[in-house]
Amino acid sequence: MFNSFSLKPIRGLSVLLALLVLGGLIVVPLAEIFIQSVYRDGELQWAAPFRTIADSDSARVMLNTVWLGLCVILGTTLLALPLAWIMANTAIGRKRWLDIVLLIPFMTPPYIGSMGWILFMQKNGYLSQLIPGLSNLTPAFFSFMGMVTIMSLHLFPFLYLLLRGALERIGGSLEEAGAVMGATPFYRFRRIIVPLLLSSFGMGAMLVFVKTIAEFGTPATFGRKIGYDVMTSEIHRYISSWPISFGTATSLSSLLLTACLLMWYVQSVLSRRFTYSLVGGKGSRRSSLRSGGPILWVSILFVFLLLLFSIGIPYFSIIAASTMKLRGVGLSWNNLTLDAYRELLRWGNPGMKALMSSIWLSLAASTIAVVLGTWCALLIRRSQTASQRMVDLISLMPNTVPGIVMVVGLILLWNSPWMPIPLYNTYGMVVLTYVVLFLPYTVQYVKSAAGQIDGSLMQAGQVFGGRPAYLLRRITLPLILPGMLAGWMMTFTISARELVASLLILPPSVQTSATFIFAQFEQGEVSLGMAMAVVSVGFTTLILITMESLGSRRKWNR
Amino acid sequence: MWNPKFVKPSKFAKDAPLALALAFGMALTGCGNAGNSNTAAADPSSASDSTKTEQSQPADNKLVVYTAGPEGLANKLIEGYQAESGVQVDMFQGTTGKILARLEAEKSNPAADVVILASLPAAQGLKDDGLTLAYPEAKNADKLNADWSDAEGNYFSSSASALGIAYNTSLISTPPTSWADLSKPEYKDQVNIPDPSLSGSALDFMTGYLNANGDSGWDLFQSYKDNGAVLAGANKEALDPVITGAKGIVASAVDYMTYSAKAKGEPIDIVYPSEGTIISPRPAAILKSTQHKENAKAFIDYLLSDEAQKMVTNAYLMPGRTDIKADNRANLDEIPQLKADWNWMSENGAEVTERFLKLFK
Repeated sequence: MFNSFSLKPIRGLSVLLALLVLGGLIVVPLAEIFIQSVYRDGELQWAAPFRTIADSDSARVMLNTVWLGLCVILGTTLLALPLAWIMANTAIGRKRWLDIVLLIPFMTPPYIGSMGWILFMQKNGYLSQLIPGLSNLTPAFFSFMGMVTIMSLHLFPFLYLLLRGALERIGGSLEEAGAVMGATPFYRFRRIIVPLLLSSFGMGAMLVFVKTIAEFGTPATFGRKIGYDVMTSEIHRYISSWPISFGTATSLSSLLLTACLLMWYVQSVLSRRFTYSLVGGKGSRRSSLRSGGPILWVSILFVFLLLLFSIGIPYFSIIAASTMKLRGVGLSWNNLTLDAYRELLRWGNPGMKALMSSIWLSLAASTIAVVLGTWCALLIRRSQTASQRMVDLISLMPNTVPGIVMVVGLILLWNSPWMPIPLYNTYGMVVLTYVVLFLPYTVQYVKSAAGQIDGSLMQAGQVFGGRPAYLLRRITLPLILPGMLAGWMMTFTISARELVASLLILPPSVQTSATFIFAQFEQGEVSLGMAMAVVSVGFTTLILITMESLGSRRKWNR
Repeated sequence: MWNPKFVKPSKFAKDAPLALALAFGMALTGCGNAGNSNTAAADPSSASDSTKTEQSQPADNKLVVYTAGPEGLANKLIEGYQAESGVQVDMFQGTTGKILARLEAEKSNPAADVVILASLPAAQGLKDDGLTLAYPEAKNADKLNADWSDAEGNYFSSSASALGIAYNTSLISTPPTSWADLSKPEYKDQVNIPDPSLSGSALDFMTGYLNANGDSGWDLFQSYKDNGAVLAGANKEALDPVITGAKGIVASAVDYMTYSAKAKGEPIDIVYPSEGTIISPRPAAILKSTQHKENAKAFIDYLLSDEAQKMVTNAYLMPGRTDIKADNRANLDEIPQLKADWNWMSENGAEVTERFLKLFK
């Protein structure tokens, strides 16, 4: 207690410093967007953004975006809810390897997944080469429904993880109690599961919604093909292709930003109203109501089909496209070649350089993000004071703001004429952007790890005369290490495949694997781009598995 | 002004409210150290490289080139120039639209020294805005096709491509022979068109065709639209579905891409329509804001040299010099041309792009 008294001023200073750092990194760029959208020709015009929005057909684009978000919520729910139930209630859930496999769709860069689907489904694509009878599916697939399908297959792991966690917390006893009282399965679902799931579902649905409307890869590839414009592709068009208009881009960004913040507010209000406490003194256990028979077979079929559609088909296309000699010949054994890989992995090849810079940039970004994020998370800890809650709110903001909006803000700030630090157009700018974009992951993971540390541990340490630094080193750090590791891995994976920020801010003559792939689709060799996709996804998966096994060995020893 | 809207940020800076300046001050203390250490950590090799070279040779051995066009050729040209001069070249590779956008975005802190674009009007635009540096004494400039380059030496077209109709030879048994053919029912839903806001050469064809045919030129594009033609990104994105057989035809395809795919063995070929077409020169220009003037000039000289012109023809492009002929593609005199005025095309580019995008939305 005495210790914490004497620490108070330092703590306060530290929180203040954190607020300054986060403010400069996150709040100022976002504020810049709003300011730029109301400043036209050097004077303040409050109506300007509204005029822009009314002039261009942004209202239509915004509606498109929201409609897409809602449909993808529906799509992911249809995929994730049965899956979560299966994994929580049947024997399939005990297969550990499925946990990693089910993360693959999410680790696949969305533009690659969409390209895979396009190559598979297009006229004379792989599907009609394999099964010519199904070629009349093509027009049906190249539609809004196809886009929803692709995005749902990419995003469902988010919702699934949340729902599964919630279902496991509910445990079997409540349902069994219902069954004993004579309730039918449907009644039990309606009166027990649904109300208890609602809060997690709301959280997951909101996350899916924000991810969908912030998504750039699928709209840029598939959406462009079917002529379905959304906000992110419009913003990207206004800042990166001729004729350029920063005014419109900032107005659209403000609109998108407002929509996301609004959604987040609604979600937090809703989840506060529908939260029940589920963790009591009794440990929860799995339900024993059903486990075998036809239900198991239906479940296996469902999981199999889900894996086929979310992983099998896209990866089949990607690998097929990367190993073709002549793209005009199509699938045939004598058209098979590994030339693209050989070309790509030649030392000094632009592709190899791109891969290397991806790895360096992600390593730097994830390391800095972990340090900064851990610091923030430890400051927030229990968010008792208003300033701690501010740190919490701001550090999680980049997760609620679409990536492209954040990037526009960062460009406006760091490329403005009055900026004395020449960071723009350097590697530093790229690392800074990745850190800002992916800071929330570390904060979230470390926060939840730190939240589980019981206060009595610290008190015990203090009783035995441990100084703050000693306590941090011997108690807090070892306990939050798994959280830091998880944050590091997440940041590394995501920054290694980040596309939209890299497209906009990479300095000349630097490419990352993501922009390399995108450039190959635009100007170069598609097979080379696909080979790069396979190599970089394979590489990140390898790193993840290594880290994961290192992490689990540590736990095991203890 | 080329794009007057963009002056805005600098004006904004003057009027920037005190609050923001304060907020910014906070940002400085906050990320100053983080940012700087990032740069060092992110790429120690490049950082030490540049400092080393700057120390040993204070003269100047850097050059930043933004270039459109085939990546292979750009890499070879840069490598060739680096080998010859010892200058370290940084290259940004993109479509003409992306390069112009990037120049615009970096107006307050220009980074590029030389740009190579795939559209003559774009270079004229740069010249008219006073952004280019004249270099009339460039070596071999007198041998260039005079129609494609600036008499005052503001830009030099070291290569060119012609726009034609590319088609998949296994899907299209009777290839079209004219632009008008593409509105026939047999080509319904078969046609891809490159997006003029991304492809400078596609835009050249559109403005050129409109200039030669007057406002009735829009009827052609309307008939394409009615026949199910779609806009499909930049040149490569328009051509790739035709190679794989998802589409049959690219209208206003750049010919060098088709030639190089054909040489690889892909089932694809190109025709130059009978009404005539536009030949789109690919101009290189030195930007006035250059920090490396001498290197930039040497780079232009290199682009016009025999060696570089050989690389150009190897990439299936038309050489910019009239005294060099290509043997792997149609030469200038074998391609029927539309009569078009580049000045008109330059002035109306933005308007045509906008109308075209609206038409195909």
